[in-house]
Amino acid sequence: MAGIFWVTCPECRGEFYCHAQELRHKGIKLLCPYCGHQFLDEESPKIVE
Amino acid sequence: MAKKLKEFLSQLVDRLPDDLLRIDRPIDPAHFEVTALLQHLENRQQFPALLFERPLNLHGKPSSFPLLSNLFATRARCALALALDPEDAGLPLSLEYAKREERLIPPVKVSAREAPVKEVVKHDQEADLYDFPIVRHHAMDSAPYIDMTPVMKDPDEGFYNLAFLRNMVKGPRRLGIHMSPRHNWQIHRKNEEKKRPTPVAIVVSHHPSFYLGALNVSPFGVDDYARVGAIMGEPLRLTASETWGDDFMVPADAEIVIEGHVLPDVREVEAPFGEFPGYYGPQRLRPVIEVTAITHRRDAVFQHIFVGHRDNWILGGIPKEGSLFNLIRGIVPTTKGVHFPISGCGRFHCYVSIDKKIDGETKQAALAALAGCDFVKHVVVVDADIDIYREEEVMWAVATRVQADQDVDIIKNVKGNTLDPSQTDDIMTAKMIIDATRPVKRPFAARLEVPKEAMAKTRLDEFVAPAVLERLRRS
Repeated sequence: MAGIFWVTCPECRGEFYCHAQELRHKGIKLLCPYCGHQFLDEESPKIVE
Repeated sequence: MAKKLKEFLSQLVDRLPDDLLRIDRPIDPAHFEVTALLQHLENRQQFPALLFERPLNLHGKPSSFPLLSNLFATRARCALALALDPEDAGLPLSLEYAKREERLIPPVKVSAREAPVKEVVKHDQEADLYDFPIVRHHAMDSAPYIDMTPVMKDPDEGFYNLAFLRNMVKGPRRLGIHMSPRHNWQIHRKNEEKKRPTPVAIVVSHHPSFYLGALNVSPFGVDDYARVGAIMGEPLRLTASETWGDDFMVPADAEIVIEGHVLPDVREVEAPFGEFPGYYGPQRLRPVIEVTAITHRRDAVFQHIFVGHRDNWILGGIPKEGSLFNLIRGIVPTTKGVHFPISGCGRFHCYVSIDKKIDGETKQAALAALAGCDFVKHVVVVDADIDIYREEEVMWAVATRVQADQDVDIIKNVKGNTLDPSQTDDIMTAKMIIDATRPVKRPFAARLEVPKEAMAKTRLDEFVAPAVLERLRRS
């Protein structure tokens, strides 16, 4: 699998992961799979990479 | 007579009556209730097919489409799907698939009037994906997903390609689509280079032999409609699509077909989605489908696969067993069988048995398996005395016939699968060959055996009552 980074949704605090090369520092809004909130990776209160 | 899903379900009830559970209580597939039930059964090591007669749709209302789950979770049901005896679910099923896979049966064209899939036709704004009981499978899944087979057509040579690909529901007429860099991805790439949309028809529900055929491992360029016909044992009946007419044909006997375009140069976030290895694929940027039409039978049944579980693994393994058997036997004629066990998700582990005559045949067989199917990571080659459908026998051969410094080969930097979480690269992986065959050139120890005469003379049922035997737990 490609490199991934874990993010935390700033709205519901749900944690999920994304494709690092395609979505890290790209200015693309991520979609929280738990609550549907859209946010930039920089807005995540916690990032594990 | 064209094969129909409902006729298969009737056969299933006749031949394996405990294999189909009808659930008449309302259930909400989009809120994990279907997969929770499947997981409970799996925890008990029980794998019936489930027909939900009153599922909710994505509007939260009773759907007019029953939902069929877990159909492929046993080899016996897959054998029945190919009109074999369910008892022939081991090697005979693989060999039958291999035999059929050597042929092509061209499809035949029928009019819309003769096509059951055209009994109900909805175009544009009338078409609403939310009318279906679409399943949300696992906790981190980003949406309900349709996980059956999109069909695409090569723009240069005109052949059709089928593949199981995940489709994220993004709206009533909008889907995300994930394509690994394989055949449908190639077709979309060709169109995208010319800024053209790629026509796609998702065959959401059909006779199970259609889906076993869809997973053939034919090279790029073979018409999958003709290969599917060979596996089904009859020409696939095709009819003109609503969106492209005769330029793009769809299966006439399907239960449900969704037509649309994969848009060129459009990428949106898609996933996470619980994938076949048993892990989530990460959120990433993926193409988008705009739905143009939905057609279905009046009494259509909606289907899904329980991805990352036995339903997915057995379905994935059987076609590869057949295809690779043909390939390997062409190189090592004494090949006896090929098996993709569920321990390898029906893809990553490949067990090959050969009646080895000279050293070196093992490696030939293993390399053919690796070349023939890029899913394969680990090939274990055993002698013909090992039952490759019994994993403990294969591992016993590994335990007693392998010296790791002599019998294990590792090949680095080979094309793998983007969904394998152990890969450190997006594409590249390492492959392993384990030669668990006995050496030809030196004397080797003999396997234990109770004398055949004693086995024939001493009958179990003369010492233990058949009813007691039936009650004994099988380990």
